Amino acid sequence: MPVAVIMSDFDLPTRSASGFILRYIAPRLEPVHLYSLLARRGPFVLSAPQSDIIIMTGHGDTDVITGQNEAVILEVGKYAPREVRGKVIKLLSCQTGVSLCPDLVANGAACAMGYVDDYVWVCDSDLAARPWADKMAATSLMPVIDGINALLDGKTCQEALNMELEGYSRNAEVEEDELIRSCLEFNRANAVLLGDSAARVRARPKLPLPFQFIPPPPIILPISS
Amino acid sequence: MANAEWEKVKESLKKPATPEAMKEAAAAFERYREVELAKGKGSKPTLVSLGKGKGYPHAVPVDKIPDELARNPAFFNLLKRVVEKK
Repeated sequence: MPVAVIMSDFDLPTRSASGFILRYIAPRLEPVHLYSLLARRGPFVLSAPQSDIIIMTGHGDTDVITGQNEAVILEVGKYAPREVRGKVIKLLSCQTGVSLCPDLVANGAACAMGYVDDYVWVCDSDLAARPWADKMAATSLMPVIDGINALLDGKTCQEALNMELEGYSRNAEVEEDELIRSCLEFNRANAVLLGDSAARVRARPKLPLPFQFIPPPPIILPISS
Repeated sequence: MANAEWEKVKESLKKPATPEAMKEAAAAFERYREVELAKGKGSKPTLVSLGKGKGYPHAVPVDKIPDELARNPAFFNLLKRVVEKK
């Protein structure tokens, strides 16, 4: 299953979000990962039309999602419909559910998932070099990962979104830190799905491997912002 | 599990973002963090968001949230939305 994964990594929030996708999603996909400096419009235009599913994380606003150093990747009215036609799209970014996701669906995307307000969480800046080990960030980001994995396993978009929402609820119930719990409830309330909720992507057949995937190596590039 | 100091944070964030309300929210959040720190967490928690050009930093260390609350109405309003939304 061709998948385009676009992950910016230039400050703490993008590193935290990308770290979880690198650790828990990227190892199961073909290496079409637009990570860090590759998270730009040019490489996206080349890879997106051939993909069944687009997974993207970066800073965003109501009508735009950006990549590395906030370079615009998708903006309302400034992309070709062939980049998104028929695809399932997951945007882990702020407020893209307001205008961008509806626009993607209007331009032919099968389904677009985003958030109608800011996506906020608490992460541990001491763990910027291995963000996937951050248990505080995991309370918010692992539900997203579970939802994406469900999509890749062949579940419908609605089932994947439900899995993400249940994850927020489950984590909020046991969370003692009120700020973290508020963030979980906030993200849960803002997650939206537009387009065909029954859309799904082809599941890849499971390969019985005699070993476990090895986590990616630590990210050693300094954060520059 | 809700604690009294957090309830005071929520109350203070219900007000419009006037300088007085922002200072009050900052003080309430500072007291809340003192309670949390007493539990012995030894990391550097940081509130982060994936917004673009929102008028507040993408990452605010939790111990600096009172400062940001006191001086930045956009951040005050973000936290207001976060604690109010259910």
